[in-house]
Amino acid sequence: MASSITVTNVEAGYGSVRVLHGVTMSVNSGETVVLLGSNGNGKSTLIKCITGLATPGEGDIVLDVDGEKTSLIGKTPEEIVDLGIAMVPEGRRLFPSLTVEENLHLGAYRMAAREKLAENLDFVYETFPRLMERRNQLAGSMSGGEQQMVAVARAMMSDPTILLVDEPSVGLAPILVSRMIATIKELKEKKNLTVLMAEQNFNQAIKIADRGYIIVHGEIEFEGKTADDLANNDMIKQYYLGT
Amino acid sequence: MFTPELLLNAVVAGLMLGSFYAAVALGLSITFGQLDIVNIAHPTFVILGSFVAYIINENFGLDPVLIGVLFMPIFYFIGTTLYRVYYASFERTGQESLSGLAFFFGLMFIIEVVLILTFGVDYRLVEADYIGQTLHLGPLDFPYRMLVPAIAACIVTGAVVLYMNKTFMGKAILAVSQDRLALQLMGANPLQVKRIALGIAIATAALAGALLIIIQPVEPSVGRMYIGRIFAIVVLGGMGSISGTFLAAILIGVVESIISTFYGPSWAPAVGFGILLLTLAIRPQGIFGRA
Ligand SMILES: Nc1ncnc2c1ncn2[C@@H]1O[C@H](COP(=O)(O)OP(=O)(O)O)[C@@H](O)[C@H]1O
Ligand SMILES: [Mg+2]
Repeated sequence: MASSITVTNVEAGYGSVRVLHGVTMSVNSGETVVLLGSNGNGKSTLIKCITGLATPGEGDIVLDVDGEKTSLIGKTPEEIVDLGIAMVPEGRRLFPSLTVEENLHLGAYRMAAREKLAENLDFVYETFPRLMERRNQLAGSMSGGEQQMVAVARAMMSDPTILLVDEPSVGLAPILVSRMIATIKELKEKKNLTVLMAEQNFNQAIKIADRGYIIVHGEIEFEGKTADDLANNDMIKQYYLGT
Repeated sequence: MFTPELLLNAVVAGLMLGSFYAAVALGLSITFGQLDIVNIAHPTFVILGSFVAYIINENFGLDPVLIGVLFMPIFYFIGTTLYRVYYASFERTGQESLSGLAFFFGLMFIIEVVLILTFGVDYRLVEADYIGQTLHLGPLDFPYRMLVPAIAACIVTGAVVLYMNKTFMGKAILAVSQDRLALQLMGANPLQVKRIALGIAIATAALAGALLIIIQPVEPSVGRMYIGRIFAIVVLGGMGSISGTFLAAILIGVVESIISTFYGPSWAPAVGFGILLLTLAIRPQGIFGRA
């Protein structure tokens, strides 16, 4: 299945505060696109607009599944999940007093995912053997790295075609960040996902990016058509490499 | 005057009493424990269930347990409607803590007053062949007026536990107060989840009320005697763990029964709070709570 998202001139914010100013970007089928930017520049807000957790005041967000176009504007998060878009939210947002397995089951809440629960559960346990060992442990009692695994696994349980990941590296030790980034790539390849990942950690994000955007103060400041294009950009050098 | 037989019978009576308490506390465990809704009117819905059982039993001679079961769908509907009103009036605007409490207080008084105006303050009872009879098993006595409610209570509790643990909606109910936004990202509608949960909670009150009026005569204000006890049970049970609530109810039932057998019934009401205070001091998450 070919799924892509096109964001056009999106303006969004909270109350009277505008956060996104005319953002235009896209994620094409089968790509891993990274959204780079330091704290507070609007990465999460953009992802929330795609999943219906924030509502753009202007602009359009269109999902294209095999040529069938659906505007996501005005749809509830539940409806958007039902279209095959899963999100790993910033800060993981697990259900802390449910067990790992209960969290994963809830990931399969949408109708299309329920039928595939057993299959997908096997798949995520294969990908994260650690979660298999810990499946009866309360999610809130796990380490940060394990919680991030649960968050990603839970999103995969909804059997998505598009995966949105918001800052998977936050709060993780560098070695775990590398592993998590590698796992996202692995998931993408095994399940033919289309991935949009927001990250501050440029060096990690670039490892799996096909291309990406740099967002500054709610505007797309730079579009890198390839990973090299991103890496060699002056802005990146200035922000991340200190040159 | 202590005999092993007396103790044994006190324990058995306590198990039956405790099972019944579980049926009353079940709905509150869902509303208070899972939804963060302080439904102080819950015992009043139980009394409403008792009066429904009384009216139907009096007029049509139907078995009270059957009446309780038959009225569960209607009470479910009352519960879902109640959530709509509660959400629109309080939760949506974030005023649920104080105004919401006042709302349920008001609801409690209104239901009570309507019952008093309609039925007066006399005690009412139901009739069924088994009430008044006792099953004797060796040294143990099982009065049917306790045994039947206990069995019905165990069945309804078991059914709710299964529902919560085995269905997607049940798990969503367990999750909804932990992270509403995350639940939306799972594709669930939190308002629908809460509506169904409150529906189930109030539906259990229909049955609990029918069980109550089998156990004892009921007048409109009897519910108040249960408020403290069932809040104690829910907190002891670990706030929203249904099986925890059941175990806590059993514990309180058994201890109350032993105390009232050996020290007199006037001490019994203090048991719930005694155990509650002790527990809160030692283990604030309740005896049977998840960490
Ligand atoms: N719920 C909110 N209410 C009000 N302002 C918010 C909220 N969330 C984010 N903001 C503001 O929006 C801006 C962008 O935030 P965000 O999208 O979270 O950025 P990022 O994910 O890039 O760190 C920040 O200035 C932040 O303070
Ligand atoms: Mg963010």
